[in-house]
Amino acid sequence: MADAPKEISLTVDGKKVTSPPGTLLIEACKTVGIEVPSFCYYPNFSLQGACRMCLVKIEKMPKLQTACTTVISEAMTVTTNNEEVRQARKAMLEMLLGNHPLDCPVCDAGGECELQDMTFSYGAAESKFMEAKNHKDEQQWSPVVYFDRPRCILCYRCVRVCGEGMDVWALGVQNRGVVSVIAPNKEDHLECEECGMCIDICPVGALTSGAYRYKTRPWEMKHVGTICTHCGDGCKTTLGVRRAESGLQIVRGDNRDKSGINGDFLCIKGRYAFDFADNPERLKQPLVRKDGRLLPATWEEAFELIGKRFSEIRDKDGQSIGVVGSTRTTNEENYLLSKFARLVLKTNNIDHHRTADFPAFAAALAGKTDRTASMRDVFNAPAILLIGNNPTDQHPLLAWQIRNNVRLHRARLYAINCQPIKLRRQATNFMEIPSGAEGKVAAFLAGDDTAADALTSATASRDGWRQLREKLRTEQNLVIIFGSEIRGNDLPTLVKFGLAIPGAKFVCLGDYANSRGAADMGLYPDLLPGYHRVADAGKFHEEWGKIPSAPGIALPAMADAAKTGKLKGLYVVGANPVARLGFDPFAFSKSFVVVQDMFLTETASIADVVLPVANAYEKSGTFTNTCGDLQLLKKAGEVSDTKPDFEIIVRIADAMGFDVRKLVPFGTGTRADMGQSRGAQSGEADRHAVWLEAHGLEPKMSPFDPMAILDEIQRLVPGYDVSQINLLSGNDQHTNLMSQSAGSAAHDGSLIAPANDDLFTSGTLGRYSRALNSVIENRHLQPAETEVAAD
Amino acid sequence: MAVLKNIAAIAKGMSITFKEMFQPTIVENYPDGPGPLRGAKFQERYRGAHVLQRDENGLEKCVACFLCAAACPSNCIYIEAAENTAEHRVSAAERYAKVYNIDYNRCIFCGYCVEACPTDAITHGHGFEIASFNASNLIYRKEQLLSAAPAHLGANEVFNSADVAGGAPALPVPGS
Repeated sequence: MADAPKEISLTVDGKKVTSPPGTLLIEACKTVGIEVPSFCYYPNFSLQGACRMCLVKIEKMPKLQTACTTVISEAMTVTTNNEEVRQARKAMLEMLLGNHPLDCPVCDAGGECELQDMTFSYGAAESKFMEAKNHKDEQQWSPVVYFDRPRCILCYRCVRVCGEGMDVWALGVQNRGVVSVIAPNKEDHLECEECGMCIDICPVGALTSGAYRYKTRPWEMKHVGTICTHCGDGCKTTLGVRRAESGLQIVRGDNRDKSGINGDFLCIKGRYAFDFADNPERLKQPLVRKDGRLLPATWEEAFELIGKRFSEIRDKDGQSIGVVGSTRTTNEENYLLSKFARLVLKTNNIDHHRTADFPAFAAALAGKTDRTASMRDVFNAPAILLIGNNPTDQHPLLAWQIRNNVRLHRARLYAINCQPIKLRRQATNFMEIPSGAEGKVAAFLAGDDTAADALTSATASRDGWRQLREKLRTEQNLVIIFGSEIRGNDLPTLVKFGLAIPGAKFVCLGDYANSRGAADMGLYPDLLPGYHRVADAGKFHEEWGKIPSAPGIALPAMADAAKTGKLKGLYVVGANPVARLGFDPFAFSKSFVVVQDMFLTETASIADVVLPVANAYEKSGTFTNTCGDLQLLKKAGEVSDTKPDFEIIVRIADAMGFDVRKLVPFGTGTRADMGQSRGAQSGEADRHAVWLEAHGLEPKMSPFDPMAILDEIQRLVPGYDVSQINLLSGNDQHTNLMSQSAGSAAHDGSLIAPANDDLFTSGTLGRYSRALNSVIENRHLQPAETEVAAD
Repeated sequence: MAVLKNIAAIAKGMSITFKEMFQPTIVENYPDGPGPLRGAKFQERYRGAHVLQRDENGLEKCVACFLCAAACPSNCIYIEAAENTAEHRVSAAERYAKVYNIDYNRCIFCGYCVEACPTDAITHGHGFEIASFNASNLIYRKEQLLSAAPAHLGANEVFNSADVAGGAPALPVPGS
């Protein structure tokens, strides 16, 4: 057996195929470009052999065999396209269409239906069945999931993705044989995570989305692959966009483009919660406070007022404007805001809603390379240590990666948490600890045996802890994932323990779509982009010009400073500190407050000027997810009369009399070179603009193009020097977290406020999503759920 | 002889003139002809302004499948779909066209939409007087395209009821 050949060779339709042992015949055929049609087969899920579409002829076997369940063997001779096979496919399709309604014109799947495609490719033109079709009314299983029973072809993909993939087990099969039917877990409705994966995976229109239902047809939309704006995982979501009265309306979200780091996965927020964009409460006009009331104004009026007041405050009092950045704006905007605050407003009073201790993480990893794990690494790691957080709720993609890594690669998961999180079902070791003891775990792992006293419980004995530590020390290429519970001084302790393990990598979990980007881009009172300390800014003085060197004031202190009259201006870009961080709204009654937001939030309602902005689905730029994967955002929707934050910041700088060329180096750099250097007369630039427009990119010869600043970011922020061509073509690029200033003073951990979002909430933004609200309301109407057993 | 020849030629020519004088005219008398078409005549297959048809129950045949819009080479059809409910039923299928616009600035009357329609909802009518001084008048909405509701439905439903089976209802006398 030792001499057994590594690769197995067989013949398919006269072509030689070699594949590793254990490969399924259907997969082996794919490698040489032979398509074997199938419905029930789906890569990475258990085999079903239910649809019998993949029947092929294998020599020396008396009957046709299913290619999706047959493992290849040496010298196999397979025919996938002879008369017998074609006849079998035709017969199978005829059976499937026996009771399938021919309502393609009104079916949501019409145009992207696998049964439709197969019937066109392999089916017969007519049917021998004359019987009347058995009709059943459509059922609504949840606010976002509808089920049309006659359309179902019983491929069981939904059952498997829900059970095996999501570990939710909300769908099952009732009855047997011809009366089999897909049914939800709770009488007539679903009690599940509402991820909608069953809808995406359904080859026909049996499961349809409540949010997209009957809105349009697939070919009517433009499909734009961009990055989800909700949690910090950075899933790629494909948005279907249609022209509407007020611009471009997003009508659907799904993951038909499976090239993203999320592969097949998308959670409820990525799939349905794009609808905040056309919420009727959306601001579409700048508001300026006159006589105590916020009244509509023109953009010019607003910019002029802001420019005048900000200049006055800066020149008179200095250092008395506070800036609050956002965790949902792009890296380019965050970088620009950081630069704007220091260069134009001449202050270091800049901060954002911190959800993880990234500065401490960067400092702990100073000088090390390749020590941060990408989202793809989590799926491939042989072992994972998870401390704190509840990824199922707060990082659904991360949970999916861990779950499927355990299921498909038999990875070992060590989970340590203060609550019985759902991922414990996948864990090799699950240790429940008292709430708030995560720091002690770090200390114990790093070698402090006395810390174990605080960790022992009924399920985790002192010996158990010691064994766990020993086991972890013997692991290789361990991925250590920790939530915001590990912060301040505990973080370097944990990192020290991890660095002793060969090949160990880390993930520090931040909560919002670009929390990591906001940190990397220096939205801190004491740190510049790339975690450079303001005290020794070094090359930033050369690149940017003169910037103040004393650290500014952090977020909670801004309200106090405003109360005492030290802070006379506040500039909030896409954040809601009043509601989320407990800012006293009355503290700013004497200050000049400018807020950029989509809605009249609690913070916007205390402002003197409110500027309506475009959200992350309506602009281009880049996001960095919590693992440090840098990805490109593409413009999908558009709402007229809103502007991207980038443009607004540039316009304010312009209104303050600042030379915008010093702020945005537009017209230079690799990307900005296209067109201009080739001469406008020849029409080259125009054609490029047309081309860029047609490809969903924006023409970039303006100071408002966020990509004009990308070169500068890549040059100045360590770790961001990734391949630009890969990034711009839509691939994820892992950035290496690097901090120049090793062992810088620990950040104040109390400034970190975790978002504490669950699957159906998403900070302030989630409140404006009808889909999320309808699911939440629906849950409240129903009795509290009990966890479903994983059998 | 030359004179006779000339007279004969004129007589021959005038004979046609006088003969045609007493024949019925073959020029269409549009727009001064009789009837609602004012003298215009059509081949059955003439492709004029579109008509959205109704079924025998007076429901719209269009189910908003967008196939006409997909087939349209000049991209002049705009549709928004909506779901039928028990209270508000517009078409016989699950959904109907809430908005159905045809932009006659762009339409080339090729008839592809009619061919594409799976429910025979859109047809070409004989309407041809579409010209307008204002281009924005040329975007026809669903209300302008829909064929009239059948005489026994809608506001005319009263003619269906048993108590008037004997004939048209008596005109209500003012003040009675």
